[in-house]
Amino acid sequence: MVFFDLEAKKTGPEKTEYDVIIIGAGPAGLGAAIYSGRAGLSTLVVEKNIEGGQILLTDVMENYPGYGIINSNELAQKFKEHADLFGTEFDYGEVVKLELDNENSKLVHLDNGRVYKSKVIIIATGASPRKLGVPGEDEFISKGVSYCAVCDGAFFANKNVVVIGGGDSAVDESLYLSRIVSKVTIIHRRDKLRAVKSLQEKAFKNPRIDFIWDTVVKEIKGNDKVEALVLQNVKTGKIEELPVDGVFIFIGLEPNSGIFKDFVETDENGFIITNEDMETSVKGIFAAGDVRVKSVRQVITAVSDGAIAATIAARKYFD
Amino acid sequence: MPKLLNSKIVNDLKKIFSEELQKKVKILLFRVDDESICEYCDLTQNLLKELIDVDERIELEVYDFGKDEEMVQKYDVQRVPALIILDENGKDYGVRFYGIPSGHEFSTLIDDIVTFSKGPVPNLSPETIEQLKKIDHEVRIQVFVTPTCPYCPRAVLMAHHFALVNDNIIGEMIEANEFMELSTKFGVSAVPHIVVNEDYSFVGALPEANYLNEVLKGLKK
Repeated sequence: MVFFDLEAKKTGPEKTEYDVIIIGAGPAGLGAAIYSGRAGLSTLVVEKNIEGGQILLTDVMENYPGYGIINSNELAQKFKEHADLFGTEFDYGEVVKLELDNENSKLVHLDNGRVYKSKVIIIATGASPRKLGVPGEDEFISKGVSYCAVCDGAFFANKNVVVIGGGDSAVDESLYLSRIVSKVTIIHRRDKLRAVKSLQEKAFKNPRIDFIWDTVVKEIKGNDKVEALVLQNVKTGKIEELPVDGVFIFIGLEPNSGIFKDFVETDENGFIITNEDMETSVKGIFAAGDVRVKSVRQVITAVSDGAIAATIAARKYFD
Repeated sequence: MPKLLNSKIVNDLKKIFSEELQKKVKILLFRVDDESICEYCDLTQNLLKELIDVDERIELEVYDFGKDEEMVQKYDVQRVPALIILDENGKDYGVRFYGIPSGHEFSTLIDDIVTFSKGPVPNLSPETIEQLKKIDHEVRIQVFVTPTCPYCPRAVLMAHHFALVNDNIIGEMIEANEFMELSTKFGVSAVPHIVVNEDYSFVGALPEANYLNEVLKGLKK
């Protein structure tokens, strides 16, 4: 389907000082922006790609209230427009440096050279697909290894691909890929999927999807591009090779907490630790959404985190 | 034929253009009439026609890739459909789109139009601009994208803004699906995949300084 969106930009606002700077324009960041704007706070959202975050990595959303089944791009756009309604400003760049002068002055440096100042920062940078960490993975990126089905599915039209993982993303993306490629093989280290039942049922019914259970990938092999996977059955220990044209990896998330780890407390995996008001270990710095330690990572819970962070920020720092 | 741009997008564009456009911007489209050679030429032209209808400060000139040899040569057009953006004086900064700018790349085109109408002034850090100015021979940055890739516009805009700094730099968006042979030649299977001078590749929408480093690495090869 041909579609057109207007989200990518490289320009930024003229102003350099805000009450609140929100880093990341995914569901958590935009949720926070709506609440921060409505609380009357001047709000800047900094986004390195385009608004929507991980929403844009999936085809349709089925579990955001009020919309039934909605195209993901459309939902992302609605979030952005909702934030626009309350005067949110945007800049497009990646945060490369943070400076904490004092409690009331925090400086955010972007890779495009611009610097912004605020009293409150809400980190809503989300998470990225976790790597498998096996030989061949880095070597074959864009040579058959991918972490984004909507981005790269088209390169595997009429080919055989493997999807690694057993959660919602793995199954959802397998369903998407099954419309493009000739065969999807889901390889999962357990003997059943962790994905929600409705996705499981669709996958089991899909003639283009099959499964290899209780199996892990030991190595990704090939010459110029991916040609085979070395697999090991975790129950029998048996090793075998599976010829394949592409590998999509959806085995979970790692937090985009990069430079923030030097400032706020994180767990051993780098997820930012907050209290239930989304406050981090540093006064005036909040975290919301997938980047923080939590057990449910959904659009709706991310939006909720954002709402809490902005509401508490308004009460505590601007009353 | 039904419109490509729905009324909501047209209204959004009107708002963006009325707030942001300053000077005129010229778009050159190179195309062929044969759909068996260029599947997306008609669609791209229709899209651009709808776009110029939104604001008269955007001008469109259409050329035939097979017949208008002089123009093809002047702008070193490699394949079709090709879009080249020029400032109001017709100056070419090396900003190119090969393939239809649809999906998320439509916003890349719109942002380029706004940038060109305001100067164009590159939105890059002073350090990056200083480094780019030093480049004294031709660099071609080819950014392979798909319309559904949310990371891709950033990688394309980076290449385009690099091109604004130095006439030696050409920044190209290449829609990978439309030019599968080229994608295969450079082994593209995950996007954004950036190729520098047809010799050095990197993958991903890197932050500005890292992107610059990769491009410079490609130059030294």
